[in-house]
Amino acid sequence: MEFKIDKEVFLKSLQKIQGIVEKKTSMPILSNVLLEATESVLYVTATDLEVGMKSSYPAEIITSGKITVGAKKLYEIVKELPNQIITFSTKDNDWVEIKCGKVHFNIVGLSSEEFPYFPTVKEENLFEIESGLLRGMIERTSYAICTDDTKYNLNGLFTKVEIAPDGNQILKMVATDGHRLSIANGALKGTAGPELLKGVILPKKGINELKKITDEEDGILMFGFMDNSAVIKRGDSYMVMRLVDGEFPDYTRVIPAANDRVITINKEDFTHSVRRMAILSSEKFKGIMLEISATDIKISSSNPELGDAMEEIDVNYGGEPLTVRFNARYLLDVLAVAETEHVDMKFKDELSPSIIVPEKSESFLAVIMPMRL
Amino acid sequence: MQRVIFHIDMNAFFASVEQSANPALRGKPIAVVGSGGRTIVTTSSYEARAFGVKTGMAVWEAKRCCPELIVVVGDNRKYTHTSSEIMSIIRDYSPVVEVFSIDEAWVDVTGSINLFESAENIAYLIKARIKHRFDITCSIGIAPNKLLAKLASDLQKPDGLTIIKPEDVSRIMERMPVGSLCGIGKKTVRELKVMGINTCGELARCDQGRLTRKFGIVGARLKQMGEGKDDVPVIPFGEEDEVKSVGHSSTLERDIDDPQEIRRFLLQLSEKVGSRARRYNVSGKTVAVYVRYADFFTSFSKQTTLRSYINLSDEIYKAALALLEGVELEQPVRLLGVKLTNLKSQAEQLPLFEDDRKKLFATQAMDKLNAKFGNRAVTFGSLLPGKEKAGNHVIPPSWRPDGIKNVDVE
Repeated sequence: MEFKIDKEVFLKSLQKIQGIVEKKTSMPILSNVLLEATESVLYVTATDLEVGMKSSYPAEIITSGKITVGAKKLYEIVKELPNQIITFSTKDNDWVEIKCGKVHFNIVGLSSEEFPYFPTVKEENLFEIESGLLRGMIERTSYAICTDDTKYNLNGLFTKVEIAPDGNQILKMVATDGHRLSIANGALKGTAGPELLKGVILPKKGINELKKITDEEDGILMFGFMDNSAVIKRGDSYMVMRLVDGEFPDYTRVIPAANDRVITINKEDFTHSVRRMAILSSEKFKGIMLEISATDIKISSSNPELGDAMEEIDVNYGGEPLTVRFNARYLLDVLAVAETEHVDMKFKDELSPSIIVPEKSESFLAVIMPMRL
Repeated sequence: MQRVIFHIDMNAFFASVEQSANPALRGKPIAVVGSGGRTIVTTSSYEARAFGVKTGMAVWEAKRCCPELIVVVGDNRKYTHTSSEIMSIIRDYSPVVEVFSIDEAWVDVTGSINLFESAENIAYLIKARIKHRFDITCSIGIAPNKLLAKLASDLQKPDGLTIIKPEDVSRIMERMPVGSLCGIGKKTVRELKVMGINTCGELARCDQGRLTRKFGIVGARLKQMGEGKDDVPVIPFGEEDEVKSVGHSSTLERDIDDPQEIRRFLLQLSEKVGSRARRYNVSGKTVAVYVRYADFFTSFSKQTTLRSYINLSDEIYKAALALLEGVELEQPVRLLGVKLTNLKSQAEQLPLFEDDRKKLFATQAMDKLNAKFGNRAVTFGSLLPGKEKAGNHVIPPSWRPDGIKNVDVE
């Protein structure tokens, strides 16, 4: 195999798959990138068996063929090459030669035969979805995905399509780590298949990669399912992610219906205040206290090893006083993705799940469980 | 400043507590044995010791030495209670009290001598109050450091008071056998003997290089010990290094190989570890199990680190069981242990899902009831049968009158 490729193009192709290749060395082939030269294009493929990506790039193919090379090393090499055309060729025993101007690298590769099978995607199974819609919904939910591997059914984003009474389709994304939960809604224009109507769990890592794709540009993505995987196509790139095999908990039961103590607060003011108070709530004494009265919220924290802090924000509440304690991190995560000037906080009592929503928002809702007082 | 350190050692503690609780036992040779099936003398009264009864003897052996011996089954709660009371008497004379075991403590009285005229006076006051309240005697050693204080209290038993003044240290150490020092065990004594060192004086004069070659970094410390030097401070409760583990182990009353029974003991230990961790608001990430086999010599321990911090008993049990099921037990088991390490103070975050919350609240209710009505007033159904109690209930050396090391004994 031999091909010539523009340095910037090659670098971009390798950069795109850095997040996907396996970091652990349990299966060395998964740390490698598969390079396939066909008649007119170069295919660049990486997978860790959970999330995979295959993209095609223009290249001048001299002889076709395929090889795998350590993805991280190859990226490091290409990054430092001069800005010229790169000549990439395979030698005997899976060695690879990279030439660029007067630079010459010989590196060892692995035969492409061991590389896992990458499914061929049938385009007719895909439907259109707006990149911007996905990006916004992932942003508003992914922070709450559980990182504890033992709770595998929470290690992803629950994604489902619901049919509204007016017949419109609503795309829902839900994430929870058992302490908090976040839900985003959006109108889906395409036609959802049976998988989405039932609901699927998209894996955390796949979501991170999908977010990167949506960050690149707005426009239309193709989305669909095959063989227990979700498939995303954008331009000349495919991404597949294996769905999390598990039952997502019934999140609807967690969303409180009777939280009638509502406080509207300026998001910026509240964010800064929580950040300031959180300085004294260390790893050991996490938690900040909110003492809500008819006219203001007293936010405070104390730490036996450091001292204490308090500040007040005026609010228009008028209801019964309430004292509640939260992990400051959980509040800040929600405030960071709420896009309105004000947020509504809805409480029942100090030991029940509390709601935070952007003011008058229908498309985003966060539930946070308080800490013990 | 010259420190003044006490070492206070209760004489024949378990036996003395029994004699003080039951007048019929006073002045008689008695031996306290563990409450389990294994009948080994844990402590004997001085009257029994006169006949040659020693700690560690089997009951039949002890009876051969002393046919009139009265055997008393130990009551650990009585001992831990008495010990806690005694420690609080001692704290009246200095806050710097380091509890070394259930019947021993060091006290740094450097700062409080002026309040009580003299160190000797403090010692007499402590002895008198313990004698008056519990009818128990103790031996007190007074010296410039912990090493010598411990040595001094060992010199006169029972009911002793021995003072080692700074100016007498080298004279006393000169002919003291090295094995008398706390921290020099039989093995070290043997190794020193091979080097021609029998007394502390000889140890002090030994070339440090020679000691270091033989014992490594401990060599320098050994030479200092020979000189009677010791800079280690008395560390009162609460100022020790942070607790690194919560563990429980139990010698079974007979060797068991029935997997179901082993699981039962494992659950019991997990519950003990879990309830103690919860009481002190810590949770841990690493669970370890320890198994000693019936032959007493072979043992193994295994541990696993989880993704999240836990302290609920069933979660500890699940992790411990998975460890135990990963190995094939070669012999019946004599001792089982469960340990939770990699600790952090638990954030009091409540779970969002109702099932998790119910489990947490149920556990809390159970812990509360047990705290009020005694240990395991409420417990797992599978622990209930009550046909056998695990273990011979030995008070572990790490027992402390308060804090997380205050293991519940029975």
